[in-house]
Amino acid sequence: MSETVITVGFVGNPNCGKTTLFNALTGANLKVANWPGVTVERMEGRVTYKGQKLRLIDLPGIYSLTSYSIEERIARKCIMEEDIDVIVNVVDVSSLERNLYLTMQLLEFKKPVVLALNMMDIVQERGMEIDIHRLPEMLGQIPVVPVSARKKTGLDILLHAVIHHYEEGPHDKVVTYSKGIEAKLTKLETALLEQYGEVENVRWVAIKLLEQDTQIMERYPLGLPEVLDQSYENRITNEKYDYIEEVVEECLFNKEASHAITEKADRYLTHRIWGLPVFLLILALVFFLTFTVGDFLKGYFEIVLDWINLHTTDLLGSLGVTDWLISLVVDGILAGVGGILTFLPNIVILFLALAFLEDSGYMARVAYVMNEIMGSVGLSGKAFLPMILGFGCTVPAIMASRGLENEQDRKRTMLVTPFMSCSARLPIYVLFSSMFFGDKAMLAAYSLYVIGMLTAILIAKVANKLYPLPEENGLLIELPAYKTPNARTVVIYVWKKVKDYLTKAGTIIFLVSVILWFVLNYSFHGPVEDVSQSFGAMLGRWMVPLLVPAGLGMWQIGVALLCGLSAKEVVVSSFAVLFAISNINSAEGMAALSTVLGQSGFGAVNAYALMVFCLLYSPCAAAVGTIKRESHSWAFTGKVMLFQLLVAWCGATLVFQIGSRIFG
Amino acid sequence: MKLSEGRMGEIYLVQEVSVAPNITRRLEALGVNETTHIQIMNRKKSGTVIIKVRGTWLALGAGIASGITIAEVAS
Repeated sequence: MSETVITVGFVGNPNCGKTTLFNALTGANLKVANWPGVTVERMEGRVTYKGQKLRLIDLPGIYSLTSYSIEERIARKCIMEEDIDVIVNVVDVSSLERNLYLTMQLLEFKKPVVLALNMMDIVQERGMEIDIHRLPEMLGQIPVVPVSARKKTGLDILLHAVIHHYEEGPHDKVVTYSKGIEAKLTKLETALLEQYGEVENVRWVAIKLLEQDTQIMERYPLGLPEVLDQSYENRITNEKYDYIEEVVEECLFNKEASHAITEKADRYLTHRIWGLPVFLLILALVFFLTFTVGDFLKGYFEIVLDWINLHTTDLLGSLGVTDWLISLVVDGILAGVGGILTFLPNIVILFLALAFLEDSGYMARVAYVMNEIMGSVGLSGKAFLPMILGFGCTVPAIMASRGLENEQDRKRTMLVTPFMSCSARLPIYVLFSSMFFGDKAMLAAYSLYVIGMLTAILIAKVANKLYPLPEENGLLIELPAYKTPNARTVVIYVWKKVKDYLTKAGTIIFLVSVILWFVLNYSFHGPVEDVSQSFGAMLGRWMVPLLVPAGLGMWQIGVALLCGLSAKEVVVSSFAVLFAISNINSAEGMAALSTVLGQSGFGAVNAYALMVFCLLYSPCAAAVGTIKRESHSWAFTGKVMLFQLLVAWCGATLVFQIGSRIFG
Repeated sequence: MKLSEGRMGEIYLVQEVSVAPNITRRLEALGVNETTHIQIMNRKKSGTVIIKVRGTWLALGAGIASGITIAEVAS
């Protein structure tokens, strides 16, 4: 077979399933979600099909090939300059009409195009039909391949079409414009060839000149004021859409039926009054499931952990291992890492629920539902999408702020997103609310999610008072049709999060637990009998005066919070190590911890202040690194971190001072 | 009439789009042009709307919706 590598560019509208298709073809596990703009940079993968090597490039989703947005410029540059041999235009059949607009532009590019009709299965489920024999006839005889990225069907045929079409070369002209435009194009093409000799893709350049595309006008300046008298962009767009209407008329049947479910659901889910309560109810349901189902499964984890604890001590003892090593393994590593692992069921349920919401198409609607609230603090409803991602993990949430149009919105979103309560804080809530709030534990934990959201919104509001942004109310977002979440997408998503969690337990939490054990068992004079003489206690005591007003004036809490800067779960694992409690998440573990804490006068109000502090202070080292990477500024990152510490301290102090006066 | 003032469920014809140039272009690519038919699916008091255009749904903030002039379609 041929030694040449064919470079294939995946181009399509946002949220048409390019990344799912790309994952299916390359075996990659890139992040997929059901709202526009998830892929913000290009990704590459390689496959070999029947001996032919293919290099696949996944480009950000775009609506057109103009050069107005970052995504469009990245995609256009890649197609123009990077020697893409074949374009695979991924099309979401459920919104064929709009998707074909980009197709029309790609066809003008004079590169081989293969049309991948994605989501055929969904469309057929809903009763819409498409004539896939007539479609290629109307699109210059390009190959049209129905695929289902989710069910992994049609993939071989697609690759086969790519290779075959690569050898065949470009297709016929598709759209013929009205006489006036065509006459101008002919004149421009002639002038371009005269002035620049060889112009690759001369018709496309001529069209772009008529549209007054700045990049092309700079690259191919032409005189001809009588031809280029104004921008014809609007007319060209309209004529393309006119042609698309013909195509849709000829090829698409029963399309209204397929919209019925979405329209019915939206009557309630995006209702002007009920939309917001419904959203809060859905969130409450997510956390209810996280707690109840998670707790139910947790029991089994604890039994296993207890068994391991018991047998490790016995085994190490029978092997004659020294006491300090047994203590390191049992009180340091098993207490810290093992304790964290028992929260895995809660984490899995949380991410399952989030994945379900994302993939169903509901999340994009939240931008509409929240638009007025976000608008009142100077942000667009679209800024709520990164924030809601923050319920899962702050790192991708901060990265998603790239989807916002302007720098100011991006920075402000980065500032407030870390206040959204991420999954790493969940173990803290589960532990402390169960210990101190009895049957109101779930309510206590849910309230923290609401406080996080309110804090984020309040801070955005204050920021907007101090540095007002022009009020635009410029929300513009496409809402996908609702669909049944795909098992594969959900499983990939949840598995990735579980892997992250396990990796964290095996690396950061392991490391911090070991270090903490040493810090607690040694001082300048070597091993210590009494923990209060250790390095750790010295360090913690130094922080106590600062933490007293917040009701957190114990050196152990100081140490745990300090360790928590590495990752939030570490707060919990640190408590386990600090108080030498094995299986902290079990009933006995909790009883032991609450007794020790209770002896120092640490009660429910203190626990709530602690949870508020953990909710609000810097999420983790990874999140801080991400803020630096996205903002390109250490100064900004430093300020954000200090600000978070300050907000956390103020929040916890407020809670403690008010709470202890009411309940104390 | 402005899009932000339209009635829910009604179908209208877009007459004029006068919003910031970059948004005009984005709308154009999404198929919201002069002479396009759109249907208002949902509307909030503020004027933020969900419209259906060319088989897809778009959420538009009041700022954009008030820059789009629409006319009723004779039934």
